[in-house]
Amino acid sequence: MKRILLLVLILGFAVICFGCSKKKVVKPEDAAIPSEQMEQQTTAPARDTDQNSRWIRPKEHVSEQDLALIQPEEGISKYKEEKVIFDDIYFDYDQYDIGADAESTIQDMASWLLKNMSSNVIIEGHCDDRGTNEYNLALGDRRAKAVRDYLTALGIAANRIETLSYGEEQPVCTEASEACWAKNRRAHFIMVR
Amino acid sequence: MAKITDKHVAGHKINIRHFTIQRCLQYFLLALVCPLLVLITTVARAKVYIDITSPAFTRFPIAIHDFSGSSGDRIADIIRNDLHFSGLFEIVDKAAFLEKPAQPFNPRNWTPLGIDAVVKGSVKSDAELIITASLFDVVDGKELFRKEYKADKDLLRPLAHSVSNDIYSTLTGAPGMFRSKIAFVGIDAQGRSIYIMDWDGYRRIKTGLKGHIILAPRWSKEGTKIVYSAEKNRRWGIYLLDFTNMVEKKIYSGPGTHIVGDFFPGGTTIVLSSSKTGTPDLYSMDIQDASFTKLSSSHGIEVSPAVSPDGKFIAFVSDKGGSPQIYIMRSDGSQAKRITFEGSYNTSPSWSPKGDKIVFSGRRGTNQIFTINPDGTDLMQLTHNGNNEDPSFSPDGLHIAFCSDRDGSRGVYIMRADGEAQQRITPPDIQASSPRWSPN
Repeated sequence: MKRILLLVLILGFAVICFGCSKKKVVKPEDAAIPSEQMEQQTTAPARDTDQNSRWIRPKEHVSEQDLALIQPEEGISKYKEEKVIFDDIYFDYDQYDIGADAESTIQDMASWLLKNMSSNVIIEGHCDDRGTNEYNLALGDRRAKAVRDYLTALGIAANRIETLSYGEEQPVCTEASEACWAKNRRAHFIMVR
Repeated sequence: MAKITDKHVAGHKINIRHFTIQRCLQYFLLALVCPLLVLITTVARAKVYIDITSPAFTRFPIAIHDFSGSSGDRIADIIRNDLHFSGLFEIVDKAAFLEKPAQPFNPRNWTPLGIDAVVKGSVKSDAELIITASLFDVVDGKELFRKEYKADKDLLRPLAHSVSNDIYSTLTGAPGMFRSKIAFVGIDAQGRSIYIMDWDGYRRIKTGLKGHIILAPRWSKEGTKIVYSAEKNRRWGIYLLDFTNMVEKKIYSGPGTHIVGDFFPGGTTIVLSSSKTGTPDLYSMDIQDASFTKLSSSHGIEVSPAVSPDGKFIAFVSDKGGSPQIYIMRSDGSQAKRITFEGSYNTSPSWSPKGDKIVFSGRRGTNQIFTINPDGTDLMQLTHNGNNEDPSFSPDGLHIAFCSDRDGSRGVYIMRADGEAQQRITPPDIQASSPRWSPN
């Protein structure tokens, strides 16, 4: 038993010594190959080497000229604005409930819409900039919807009301003050035909 | 094993059985141990230079010589900056070097400076740019690689970044991210556009993608497409830019607000928040036929969905608990679990490439960048000044891009994933937001 163990130990030691004396030498030819594999992992569509893989030619994701030339779809506005203006209504910080002061404005709007059946309303929702852009976009949307719900409850057909959020992207003022922030937390109304 | 019958004398029988069993065991052990030893020694042959998974390590001292030839110093500077930003290397000052760029590599010129690896190379500029770069192991005194790179003359920076990638991957075993890009929304005097720049802020291009308002450019996981939300003429729409044909396509537009979240792996389905049926809810959408599948809905707000790298989970923001918090659910919309419990406002989640971390923006008075594990443990705050928002990880998971107004105007910043080395990479005359690091 002891002899076998000793044999195993000696064998193991010899193998380790033998192994350590031979370091892996990376020659230029086979260096190209691992690099290609790496490149494939990092830049999936962009790998491009010349025929014999001697030259590495990094391919660009997108070329500068191409990017600058992209034509965006413009589209035309389908709305014609009415001249009548209603006041903006305001919201509390991070909230989308309709306050008591806002109710009379919304009721006036409902009355006008009932008298002008060929017109519609776009409700814009806005926020102050203290939150993050995406959440504010959703918050503005939720504010617009709160007004929409109130209007439908007052008898205005849902297909006459559109909601649109601008989040914090279209402030009426930019100072970092309570007064300015309060002015930005608003719903704005555009009557259209 | 030999079968021993009862007919043998008791004592003698036992001795024989033990002897046989012993023998078998010994041979068995030998059979196990020998290949194991061979395996260990084989693995031991590949030298580990930098172990990026090890929590405590000293920076690897490397010397990058100016490349010989015109613009050789520029190339070397780009490589130095790349490797320095990774946080893994100590870039030794070239003023201390004993060996000149043109001299052949001699380890004896480097060992007295305590340097472990040396980078040397040359540049040739004919019809094209040709760079030759070598990486040397000082301790073993040999060349680890010599590679040649070719490109158009105006691609000097991508070429240098390719060299950095090869140095990085040879020494760490992991792919480098030095050719990655960052897309962001920029506002200048002409309005809002999507910009794309190198990860270090260079080669910034204003794309033709414009809108009255633009938000959230998001790369597909293969890096071949960008999807984003834009408001044009009082309508929100989802737009796609496919790099393979360089065309902007409107995928969907309609009443309500539609905010793009993220791509699923494969690049043909996206997840987004849309208020098309009333409240901001989460949907998956096939970009080829614009068909929607509702994933979740609530009385309040559900927004900012982010798909995990393996496509199995979605992190998102909901106020169903009374305030905006981060949740994770399965990709089919089931099993939503809240993961943030500190602070009253946690938004903008984004996954690390391995899916082991989520980075997000939490409001603690001002907005700050945090990381957290997907199970809600290990919350870490990474920024402390100004308002910091829209974070995303680099493709190697070691860095984070975000926007910050700490210097007055909003710009894109990058930092290491532990919060170190925070630096601005967009100029002050562009109001920059929604930065997103490319996946490769």
